[in-house]
Amino acid sequence: MSVENLKAYIESGVLELYVLGDLSPEEILRVEEIASQYPGVMDEIAAIEQALEQYAMQNAVQPSADIETRLLEKLGLNEVDEHVSVQPEPIYTEEAKIIRLNGSDAKVRTLRYALVACIALLVVSTAALFITYNKLNAAHDQIASLSLDKQKFAGVVSKLEFENQGLGNMAAMADSKEWATIRMAGQAFSPTSKMKVYWNKKDKSVLINYVAMDLPKTDAEHEYQLWALVNGKPISLGVFGKADSIHNEALVKMQAIQEAQAFAVTLEPMGGSVNPTMDKLTVMGGV
Amino acid sequence: MTAFKKLTLTEPELVLALQSKDPAVLKTLYGMYSSALYGVISRIITHTELAEDVLQETFVKIWQSAAHYDHTKGRLFTWMMNIARNLSIDKLRSKDFKNSLKNQDIENNVSFVDEQNKVTFNPDVLGVKQLVDNLKPDLQAVLDLVYYKGFTHVEAAEKLDLPLGTVKTRIRLAIIELRRSFN
Repeated sequence: MSVENLKAYIESGVLELYVLGDLSPEEILRVEEIASQYPGVMDEIAAIEQALEQYAMQNAVQPSADIETRLLEKLGLNEVDEHVSVQPEPIYTEEAKIIRLNGSDAKVRTLRYALVACIALLVVSTAALFITYNKLNAAHDQIASLSLDKQKFAGVVSKLEFENQGLGNMAAMADSKEWATIRMAGQAFSPTSKMKVYWNKKDKSVLINYVAMDLPKTDAEHEYQLWALVNGKPISLGVFGKADSIHNEALVKMQAIQEAQAFAVTLEPMGGSVNPTMDKLTVMGGV
Repeated sequence: MTAFKKLTLTEPELVLALQSKDPAVLKTLYGMYSSALYGVISRIITHTELAEDVLQETFVKIWQSAAHYDHTKGRLFTWMMNIARNLSIDKLRSKDFKNSLKNQDIENNVSFVDEQNKVTFNPDVLGVKQLVDNLKPDLQAVLDLVYYKGFTHVEAAEKLDLPLGTVKTRIRLAIIELRRSFN
């Protein structure tokens, strides 16, 4: 290429377009080929580049500050910077970690002790509960047996009281001049039976004493009836059941009778009868 | 490594670091050139978010294709600027951009389309500094259309209704003015 041609080539403006990136790939290759051969062309290109570079610098526009961060993040390069500037920090965090680990270790140890203590407490509690439960059962048994004993004793006491009352009455009757004691002996229906009836001479009241009687046991449908024989006629003085120490007093007041020659007891259906059933005459005794 | 940070390196140093993939050089490069590149990108793409996306894409491409840069064929900045301009133009023609245009409300859309389709070209709209006092606005208009608007010289000729040769000449004259003023 001659000097004139070279000058014309430079002045054609193709180098500017080359720098501006406004040429086809073929044209670009052509420019690069010529530039590599002619230093003048190379210098011209460099001058155009520098001019445009400065022009760009003059008309620079500052982008948002976060673009750089986003860019480095996108390329995965931000750790590099962190690595350098945060160099002392790993030591701190490591120390902190060690402290934290110690702390949590101690906490774990404490928790472990607490757990062991809890389990021990649970075992002791369970054992204590078991023992207490057994003791409670034993106590219950004891209470039951004691209460049974008490009931038994109460029964005995009440029987003794009953008998004592009856015996006391018998003694009192024997001593008394006010009361007449009529002994009734067993009759054909029940020869071994005997019974006493007490008759007050003053107010004519009649008492029987369960302790002072020995009569056969009655069944559920029958009870005894006391009769007074007045001038050959039987008069009912009331009915009485068998001796019952729990429900009855030893002494039972019967109907009063003004006069009587004899007293008798017959076995009658429940509630008594109007006339005595003579074949069931149990005991009888004259005044 | 971080010694590069916020420092201005000479171009051979930058190129060496970039091509050896020194991670710290990207920050240096960004610090030195991001606003100059963004000056071009943001004038081609007026939508701020998209423009910033392109700036990011530009540096990603610079980082990833650093091996393709050949310093015997030109300055590093020229190479980077062409990446930025090409990505901007690609974005302008992409579906992405057209969608974002659709998403803009009518008022913005009208002014935006209007700006895109302007027949007469006024550098003041771009906020580009006047080159030199004695440079005719005609010269700068052509240069800025190509440099700051991503037009090819053919497109600029059509837009300004000028012969292709005139456009080429005006670009050259404008750059000569620049060279003179900077020297």
